[in-house]
Amino acid sequence: MSDALRQTPELVTLTVNGSVHQVQLDSRTTLLDALRDHLELSGTKKGCDQGACGACTVLLDGKRIVSCLVLAAQCEGREVTTVEGVTVDGRPHAVQEAFCRHDALQCGYCTPGQVMSAISLLAEGRAGSDDEIREFMSGNLCRCGAYPNIVAAIREVAGQEATSR
Amino acid sequence: MRGFEYVRATDVGSAVALVSGDPGASYLAGGTTQLDLMLKDAVVPQGLLVDIGRLPLRGIATDGDVLRVGALTTMEELAADPVVAERVPFVSEALLAGASTQLRNMATIGGNLLQRTRCRYFRDIAVTDCNKRTPGSGCAAVTGAARMHAILGASAHCIALHASDLCVPLRALDAEVRVEGAAGQRTIAFADLHVMPGERPDVETVLRHGEMISEVLVPLLPAGTRSGYLKVRDRVSYEFALTSAAAALSIEDGVITLARLALGGVGTVPWRATEAERVLVGAPATARTFLAAAEAAIQDPFTVPGTEFKVELAKRTIVRVLRTVSGEQS
Amino acid sequence: MTALDRVDAPLKVSGSAPYPSDFTLPDQVHAVLVQSTVAAGRISAIDTTAALAAPGVLAVITHENAPPLADLPMTPLGAPPRFPFKDDRIIHCGQHVAVVVAGTHEQAASAARLVQVSYETAKPVLDLDDPRAEVVDNGWGMEVDVGDAEAALSSAEITYEETFDIAPEANNPLGLFTTLASWDSDRLTVHDCSQWPIMTRQALATAFGLPESDVRVLVPYLGGGFGAGLRAWSHTLLAALAARVVGRPVKLVLTRPQMFTSVGHRARSRQRLRLGMTGAGRLVAIDQESTAALGAEEDNFSAVVLGTPHAYDCPNVATHDRQVRLNIPNPGFMRAPGHAEGNFALESALDELSYRVGIDPVELRLRNFAEVHPQSGLPWSSNALRECLQVGAERFGWRDRSPVPRSTRDGNWLVGYGMAGVTFGWYAAPCRARLSILASGTAVLKAAATDIGTGTYTIAAQQVAELLGLRVDQVRVEIGDSDLPPAPQSGGSGLAVALTGAIQVAAANLLRALLDEVAADARSPLRGRRLDEVTASDGRLHLIDDPAVGEKYADVLARHGLDELTADGELDLAAAAADAGVAPAGAFAARFAEVRVDEDLGLLRVTRLLSVVDGGRILNEKTARSQIIGGTVMGIGMAMFEEVAFDHATGRVANATFGDYLIPVNADVPDLDVVFVGGPDAFSPTGVKGLGEVGVVGVPAAIANAVYHATGRRIRSLPITIDQLM
Repeated sequence: MSDALRQTPELVTLTVNGSVHQVQLDSRTTLLDALRDHLELSGTKKGCDQGACGACTVLLDGKRIVSCLVLAAQCEGREVTTVEGVTVDGRPHAVQEAFCRHDALQCGYCTPGQVMSAISLLAEGRAGSDDEIREFMSGNLCRCGAYPNIVAAIREVAGQEATSR
Repeated sequence: MRGFEYVRATDVGSAVALVSGDPGASYLAGGTTQLDLMLKDAVVPQGLLVDIGRLPLRGIATDGDVLRVGALTTMEELAADPVVAERVPFVSEALLAGASTQLRNMATIGGNLLQRTRCRYFRDIAVTDCNKRTPGSGCAAVTGAARMHAILGASAHCIALHASDLCVPLRALDAEVRVEGAAGQRTIAFADLHVMPGERPDVETVLRHGEMISEVLVPLLPAGTRSGYLKVRDRVSYEFALTSAAAALSIEDGVITLARLALGGVGTVPWRATEAERVLVGAPATARTFLAAAEAAIQDPFTVPGTEFKVELAKRTIVRVLRTVSGEQS
Repeated sequence: MTALDRVDAPLKVSGSAPYPSDFTLPDQVHAVLVQSTVAAGRISAIDTTAALAAPGVLAVITHENAPPLADLPMTPLGAPPRFPFKDDRIIHCGQHVAVVVAGTHEQAASAARLVQVSYETAKPVLDLDDPRAEVVDNGWGMEVDVGDAEAALSSAEITYEETFDIAPEANNPLGLFTTLASWDSDRLTVHDCSQWPIMTRQALATAFGLPESDVRVLVPYLGGGFGAGLRAWSHTLLAALAARVVGRPVKLVLTRPQMFTSVGHRARSRQRLRLGMTGAGRLVAIDQESTAALGAEEDNFSAVVLGTPHAYDCPNVATHDRQVRLNIPNPGFMRAPGHAEGNFALESALDELSYRVGIDPVELRLRNFAEVHPQSGLPWSSNALRECLQVGAERFGWRDRSPVPRSTRDGNWLVGYGMAGVTFGWYAAPCRARLSILASGTAVLKAAATDIGTGTYTIAAQQVAELLGLRVDQVRVEIGDSDLPPAPQSGGSGLAVALTGAIQVAAANLLRALLDEVAADARSPLRGRRLDEVTASDGRLHLIDDPAVGEKYADVLARHGLDELTADGELDLAAAAADAGVAPAGAFAARFAEVRVDEDLGLLRVTRLLSVVDGGRILNEKTARSQIIGGTVMGIGMAMFEEVAFDHATGRVANATFGDYLIPVNADVPDLDVVFVGGPDAFSPTGVKGLGEVGVVGVPAAIANAVYHATGRRIRSLPITIDQLM
């Protein structure tokens, strides 16, 4: 094997919410399973494990991704942010507070993913209208159907007035 | 059974050498297809996975009238590129019509070109009849619950759809792909990249084992050419196309002087509507012309009960995109 | 009507609400299921050698080596699912055939693929019309036969007969159903996605021959259920069995594809509806007959035609419910079972008749309003359906529409309005609640109820706070634990009624106990007072007439050396209903939809949807509204997207992923307008009516009726897809 190639990692170093963790992992372990099963960060949820529901959304180097379709090993040296890492000085993120106020959740299972996606959406500058919010939040399924309240929560944070559909 | 091994490549040459030298090895880029198929659906056997995610193949550069897109550029990055938005806007539209932001932040342009079909009969290993997985085993989808399946380039051997949105405008633009292999570099015309299933649906591209797409060359449209991508699907968002069409038109004095048209949601490969383009060029930009083009585009479809509606839907999709791009008010 | 923020929202938005799959126990190992790839036949051989030899594997359990389990008991919602490891028979594709237990999830998943199962296959029965299929009548007494529908139909001025088809739908809660089972000698604890911990406890206790007190079912939070958590599914038993076999805690998480075959679904159904009507638009006969799919050897309590008999004033009503045994995964309950389907047929038919008799659809419903309960003749405990229709029509701008189909166009879009009336059923089950006041003066409520996203935590806390005069944050609600006082399931839209009622009884008992405590207490200003003389506010009990005379709970408890004072409350509304002299009512509603249809491309978009709902007293407008919008979104899915595609040759689910089985996404849902009308229900002790399911009902009909108004095209099958509209 070429020197240019690193051997299969067994010990993976992950930087999650600013903390560095070294974990012994099966090379098949996804970031999602590493977070949930090895780092005791169960806020990130598994809803399909196929990249289709968005419940496992986290930020990787500041961009939202689905953590079920990336190996933990792929994330070495990159910054992972989960729902546990978005509070500011112990206070909830503005998106989290808005979700509470607007009842933008019901069973709450998709909610951490929705929150992470919404935080990212705002950073992407894609909360300019209700339609834009709807479109760019469509990768996060909510079977309880909280969508209108999710839109309202994000709209509020974005400081946008409701625009007609 | 061989084990699952993960290595992270640090340069192109050694990555190519590693995969080329191991028949069970494959590249891992964005992972949105490969990990799904390998880890979740077990359609692709577990073997050596060479992570090329950090190779220096990422970025977009303008080179005259060609956009050079590094294969590891993400879908989101390309969609946001200002030159794309200005010169080939239908590429950006197609990108943003596909997947979700999360997936577009992961999936790479090279990977998008090589994405595997979404056919559930292919992706469910409990299904034994799949010529794409096991040549000669048959096709369960042909007699099964087909909907998200192909009607062009399809046959009783395979109706698996090439579901990429991005590939539709790239096919219309005559893009090219640069490929790195053990035997060196080569450039493949987009038209030649994907292979029609014929009797060997398992062969999907002309790439040899170990070859890696390093760059996609996207010709930019001449100034004044308008383009658009229309995707028809059940949901408003986040669904593969039932039908789609990418069109680019130049119109002078009401007459079409340049026409490019490609279709998605209907082909076993990204589908260029060459006959339709012939109808369009030199003809007046009218509804009648667009209808004639649509008729010319869908030749000899192979349908099954669940896909019959796509013949008409594809034609109407073509008419609509042409009307929109031509600026005709409906 | 208050609009308090959901009390568990901070936990949920921070990812710290613990769902069954979030628990991890010391020494925990992982189980993965192997499922049948054929729909009928038997297992001829099952080779587990390779799987057993795979790294980390601890056990592979199959029907050949599984310790026997006792048959599960009957439940108030019908027979339990068949346990698949009883024998070698295969009755549906996706039937569990083996459980692989290994140290890690990756090892178990990998080894599960090495289990070699050989089948002796039989030709599966998969079609409702297959002559080989066994047809069974509804055995649950849900059919109605009043008057003489047949005779009334033959003499009616106007008659109607059509057939309606509804595709099978999968509940698909976002939370993958999980069981984490652990044994402590002969005591079993499971974290399980149950909407009914008491039922799951009984099932596990029976299966493993344990006293119920030795089984504990925990589900403080559930990632949705929509009816999927109302049965003791076999994966729950298998996880407990696996934990017993390996002697370690076992976590079993279903995959998304397994969710399509393991936890029930809304059965495929076909209804034939015949109506008789006078020229003035009065219904004279309803005959509604349904045929629905059923598992090959299982039962499904759920009838299809449920709401029709009491929906409108009609003297002659007959409903028939039959089920066809097929080699498919057993259907089960899915939000508003029966009501959602039956309403689609009835309300579509009324819409069709409105055009035939030339009476506005809203007016047609009003003309047939049931002043009293149609079968019993008793007055309703509440019924604001008329108000729902009138308020809705006004608010929606119904009268502005041109009644002529295909008359409104906007560019490529045809625009249409449609509406539907909704009469939901009434359901109640016995409930107990335990209420305590602690030395700190705060309160704790305990009941084995669940909060599946409905807001149980919140409304229970509000109710306790109100009755005991406390702030909501002074009330702790403990639910989701079968060790707590028995409460009914989250299902049937009966929990809110039963639980708030039981809380009311418990609160009265608790205050009475407090007064008893101070009856001879010379230092208590409340000495010798009766319950009807006092009320509570600001954490103290005081005289109604003189608020200054009273004292704090904390003071009473401190003086009497009590850590807590506790009382139970029990309520059995079903029993009370028998001689109540009224017909207990469920929710009523009217739905108004505006759709746009692009006929060229077959596109259908819902652009406005108004729900006017009579839910009795609304305890919390926020969570109540969320129930309605959530149900509406599921109704949009039913109307436009959802269909479990069973391969007609093999019985395999051909779209068992979220990429292929389409549920509404954010972009499919417009702002949804919800208005509550009506007042407190007269029979429900708290005036509350259930709202969990009514939100679905009527949405498909309103959309289909709007599609007709937009296009002139009547669609009687769901979902309404592009190919039907282009």
